[in-house]
Amino acid sequence: MQTQVQKATEPEQNSVVEQKVQKLRELYADAPELGRAALERGLPNLKRELAAATGMQNAGRIGARQGKVSELTGIIPFAKGGAKRLRGLLQALEGNFRGGDAVGTLHDMRFVFLDNDTKLLFATAYDGEWDAYIDDFVTKIPDAMDLLFCNIEGWPGIHSPSVKDFIAGHQIAAEAWYVANPNLTVVETRRLEQIGKAADEFLDKVA
Amino acid sequence: MLSVNESAGAKLATEAPTLEFQEIQATVLRVRPAPYFGTHVLLRIDNAQAGRDFLRRVTPHVDSAAGWWAAANAWLAIGISYAGLEALGLREDSLRSFPEAFRLGMAARAQHLGDEGVNHPKNWDLPFGKGQIHIGVSVFSDSEEKRRRTLNLAREQYDASSGVSVLAMQDFGAQPGDLNPLGYKDGIDQPTIEGSGVESPPGYGRPIKAGEFILGYPGEAGIPLPMPHPDILGRNGTYVGLRKYQSRVGAFNRFLRANANTEEERELLAAKLVGRWRSGAPLTLAPVVDDPTLGADAKRNNNFDYSDDPRGRGAPFGCHMRRMNPRDTQLSRLTDVNLHRVIRRGTTYGPPYDPNAMSEEADEVPRGAYFLFISAKAMATIEFLQQEWINDGNFIGIGDERDPIVGLQEQGATFTIPREPVRRRVHGIETFNVLRGGEYFFMPSLSALRWIGELG
Repeated sequence: MQTQVQKATEPEQNSVVEQKVQKLRELYADAPELGRAALERGLPNLKRELAAATGMQNAGRIGARQGKVSELTGIIPFAKGGAKRLRGLLQALEGNFRGGDAVGTLHDMRFVFLDNDTKLLFATAYDGEWDAYIDDFVTKIPDAMDLLFCNIEGWPGIHSPSVKDFIAGHQIAAEAWYVANPNLTVVETRRLEQIGKAADEFLDKVA
Repeated sequence: MLSVNESAGAKLATEAPTLEFQEIQATVLRVRPAPYFGTHVLLRIDNAQAGRDFLRRVTPHVDSAAGWWAAANAWLAIGISYAGLEALGLREDSLRSFPEAFRLGMAARAQHLGDEGVNHPKNWDLPFGKGQIHIGVSVFSDSEEKRRRTLNLAREQYDASSGVSVLAMQDFGAQPGDLNPLGYKDGIDQPTIEGSGVESPPGYGRPIKAGEFILGYPGEAGIPLPMPHPDILGRNGTYVGLRKYQSRVGAFNRFLRANANTEEERELLAAKLVGRWRSGAPLTLAPVVDDPTLGADAKRNNNFDYSDDPRGRGAPFGCHMRRMNPRDTQLSRLTDVNLHRVIRRGTTYGPPYDPNAMSEEADEVPRGAYFLFISAKAMATIEFLQQEWINDGNFIGIGDERDPIVGLQEQGATFTIPREPVRRRVHGIETFNVLRGGEYFFMPSLSALRWIGELG
């Protein structure tokens, strides 16, 4: 869905930017000296960003989105023995997630073990909405889902009707979300790679 | 380790459960007759007692799916919106047990359905989108005379209740040749429901678990979908998404003329948009010229897959038919195509398609279809279809393009026709079918209708 960019008149926009700058000065009033100085020195650049239209949208129930790319972040306690199992599984995989390729929307996945292996930080960037496809995961990749996530506390199993609520319940919305190419899905990126390669081959031939 | 399964439903070797035909409303399984005649009546309940009186009186006339094959008779179907269930005095814990999207209603879910711009609920025809529609009564029949008789039967029941008001009535019926408002043969390709006894013609795909379409039976994942409670209320019921479309016949004809020089070219372009010639013959089987005999032959006109058309040079990836049922197309997102099927009961209203209508006035002639989408998870499925398969192209690797027939088009929209040596990209696609109303209904079993009638 395209975001409507509201065009404000210049004086209106200037006053909005000035208000934002004023707010930032107040916030940074108790910052260390170098922070306050950085704010003042950086103001010309910062003003351009403050004047730009918002890039943030909501992704489904919870989470942020820019263009077509959404974020999902969760911090979830491990089940008993879960950290050890998951670490062993991830080490055995050595970074190969073929099922991730098949999903076709996962830009990345990050597994970080926190607080002496008591909690998992899971973070991913993906296209569109995840919950529209959760039923497809249930019939197409149930074992992959359960193998990974049985290691976290309270995982109801991918077949459980409550699995959507479980995931959404552990999601923490990102305060900010930056995407360099917000309109490029995983599928589009692969297509452009192919087109680029074909174009180079063509140019090699005609050169 | 992360292997991709075949659909679990395909593997489950369990016996298909016996469906309780005498409990399930006829419309769920009964194929719409051809030609057909019918009426939709939208009712508001002004007091709970009157509403329940009406249900008690009308339920004995509501047909069950027992003997669904005897479609020669006329039949009545009843759907109740969430506002209707509230107005009938259902208890709070029952009301809360319905899915959130159903409780909010179709207008409130506009954002999830991509119903924006011209399709936004603020542009809908009355009485849609105001939370006033409580009960939908539909008459289906194979003759005008039976339609009138059956409608009168329903009318006697709601006229007898002073607290039930008629908000709207809409007659519908087949156009000559069973054509839809844009002039294509209608009603081909429905999902086959396991255990229904409906023998589908070749090419309709493997039977899909009954629980995807009727509450109380195992679905494709092997377990029943969540059901409203108590059990008697939910079991053997289903949901119906009703969407009223206005067909912009002038815009459609103008688009065809602007992008094709001869009548042959026009008809080929029209076929590329849908994936079928107007006769119903699919491009996968008749890629170059129409084959009306094939189109009319129910045993052959849906008997194909896309294994011989992997690049979309027959049926384009973005055509309506391939989007609505991708079959064996290699999709770019992990998808179980059997999870996103709905039973479609299209009901056409207004004058028939006019190939020579070119004016903007022709766009506003009341003419279109009330689509009924029936599924045990109709809300989730319709939202999925709207977001993924209709108003996007990412799932099938064609970027931003949308369904050329039912999609909501943005400025500068295109439609890509793969061909040798280079694809053709057609510009100037508009929204040819505009949404003018919609609502979600629960279609209870006959026992549930009686149970609601006896409340209070």
